[in-house]
Amino acid sequence: MGTIQFLMDGFATALQWHNILFALVGVIIGTAVGVLPGIGPMSGVALLIPVTATLTSGMPTESAAASSIILLAGVYYGAMYGGSTTSILLNTPGESSSVVTALDGYQMAQQGRAGAALSIAAIGSFVAGIISLIGLVLLAEPLSNIALEFGPAEYFSLMLLGLCAVSGLAGKSMTKALIMTVLGLLLGTIGIDAVSGIARFTYDIPVLYGGLEFLTIAVGLFALGEVFKTILEKETEDGSIAKISRVLPTKKDLKDSAKPIARGSLLGFFIGVLPGAGATLASFFSYITEKKFSKNPDSFGKGNIAGVAGPESANNAASGGAMIPLLTLGIPGSGTTAILMGALIMYNVQPGPLLFDDHPEIAWGLIASMFFGNLILLILNMPLVKVFAKIIQTPKKYLLPIIIAISFFGVYAVQYSTFDLYLILACGIFGYLFTKNDYPVAPLVLALVLGPMIENNMRRALTISNGEWSIFVTSPLSLVFLIIALAWILIPIILKLTGKKVIVNEEE
Amino acid sequence: MSKTFDKGTGIILLIISILFVLESLKISGSAYGSAIGPKTYPLILGIILGLLSLRLLYESFKSKAESKEKSDFDYKKFGVIFIAAILYVFLLEIIGYVLSTFLFLLIAFQVMEKGKILSTIIISAIFTFGVYFMYVSLLGGSLPKFSLF
Repeated sequence: MGTIQFLMDGFATALQWHNILFALVGVIIGTAVGVLPGIGPMSGVALLIPVTATLTSGMPTESAAASSIILLAGVYYGAMYGGSTTSILLNTPGESSSVVTALDGYQMAQQGRAGAALSIAAIGSFVAGIISLIGLVLLAEPLSNIALEFGPAEYFSLMLLGLCAVSGLAGKSMTKALIMTVLGLLLGTIGIDAVSGIARFTYDIPVLYGGLEFLTIAVGLFALGEVFKTILEKETEDGSIAKISRVLPTKKDLKDSAKPIARGSLLGFFIGVLPGAGATLASFFSYITEKKFSKNPDSFGKGNIAGVAGPESANNAASGGAMIPLLTLGIPGSGTTAILMGALIMYNVQPGPLLFDDHPEIAWGLIASMFFGNLILLILNMPLVKVFAKIIQTPKKYLLPIIIAISFFGVYAVQYSTFDLYLILACGIFGYLFTKNDYPVAPLVLALVLGPMIENNMRRALTISNGEWSIFVTSPLSLVFLIIALAWILIPIILKLTGKKVIVNEEE
Repeated sequence: MSKTFDKGTGIILLIISILFVLESLKISGSAYGSAIGPKTYPLILGIILGLLSLRLLYESFKSKAESKEKSDFDYKKFGVIFIAAILYVFLLEIIGYVLSTFLFLLIAFQVMEKGKILSTIIISAIFTFGVYFMYVSLLGGSLPKFSLF
């Protein structure tokens, strides 16, 4: 069977009525998550894992996993659409990936062109979503075939590369990012060792034998961390919402933004594929590129439509591109994809090269649903943009306690233990403190997900080599991965020493 | 933001890493047939964490304290909600999901903003019963019931 055949089967999965519903719910919630300041895609996805687990509890595992991941991925790319809305209307970006959009988008809104800006953002996101999906379809097979050749040593080095890439780009201080990574790895060792069956760091506490549940940690660190932050810090935000008069863009707008959308999509896709570099970086680079290509760079920051079209396409393409390493190699490149990976593992589905062979329904169903979801988003966003803009006004008074209640319900429904509830409360406090002091939490979650796999591969590799550590450098592919991993850590340090400015990827 | 936090974290992490190394040494050695036992990996991680926390301490002592921006913290509101959340967890398996959730939401809504008692009661009730009905009746899950007597 060729790729096309698989894709068609994927569409057959994606177009089952319940999966259409899941995709629809996913993208709507995603847009809402993107619009609401305070909840980012990471906390949104983390919060919805238990909810989807509940919703799909009656189905067979395979289709339950497919449906859940369709919904969760919908939240992920839906948030990229929604993030632009607040940037343009309120000048307060809902996500860090839409920060750049605010520069020109808000100016356009001030000039009465809010509708045009919003619809161009939606069209750009749609085009970018489709382009990155085509890339995903084309690259999925060859990449996973290469990955099938990997042995444990290669996997170990590749995962190390993933961790280094994320730590190297996350947050202001690399020391802090690395600390969070190692902490995540350490937390991952709690529980019964999978290879020897020996309990580690459990201290005879029964709940610890199974290890710390990734879901609990993620919900606590992201969702509750954000909630606590909003409760603690009184924010004075009462920007007036710009009026939306005309939704459709003019012909000139479309003509002006066609090229930025194309450039932004391609740029965003390739940045998204790279581990560590996510949507924020993509939108940032796209903005710089557009400014360089523009005939009158001075008009940027004053309501140039290219400044909205480029970055918005780029951040959406990046979220599509980020799915590639996740699905084909089993290495998440960002915080949100790490959470998606955790969700798949919860269903006993291991992302990676075998995913396309073992669970074609999930892999191709997801890809097909993303085509479909992007279409829904485009249709939804054009006429409903005014409705979504209303969500911004949801009073925090109701929103925050309900988020706490949803996280409690979700985690309890999956784990059925109050220990996990205490744990999310503690993680919420840590999440708040860490983020406030520039300790990025995304690497911790990524490390927690990857930790057990890294250890298993390390030990398998060392068992093959009879305890010779040189196996990691004698295998050429593994050596290449390690060198890249090292470069990812060292190059920013060297750049900093030479006084160059380093762009860091904020949490997304 | 604050260097004191970094210093504190650095020291705590250093202690954790030492404990981690000591504890991983206690884990029994190699499994048969494998040169690398269950303790190797945590041991390496512990050492790396120790080195990183030293680095963090060094960085936080080296850099001058920045001017502290004084921001407005709402400790009282947060404290009440946090304690309410702990009580919620504590009471969850005693007084049941419906009652504890309803009470928690009611308290939290009122703490966030006083007034509008009627609408807070309605929203708490809708959420609580909505979740309970959806999960227990439609999806066949089970949530703690009132079990005081």
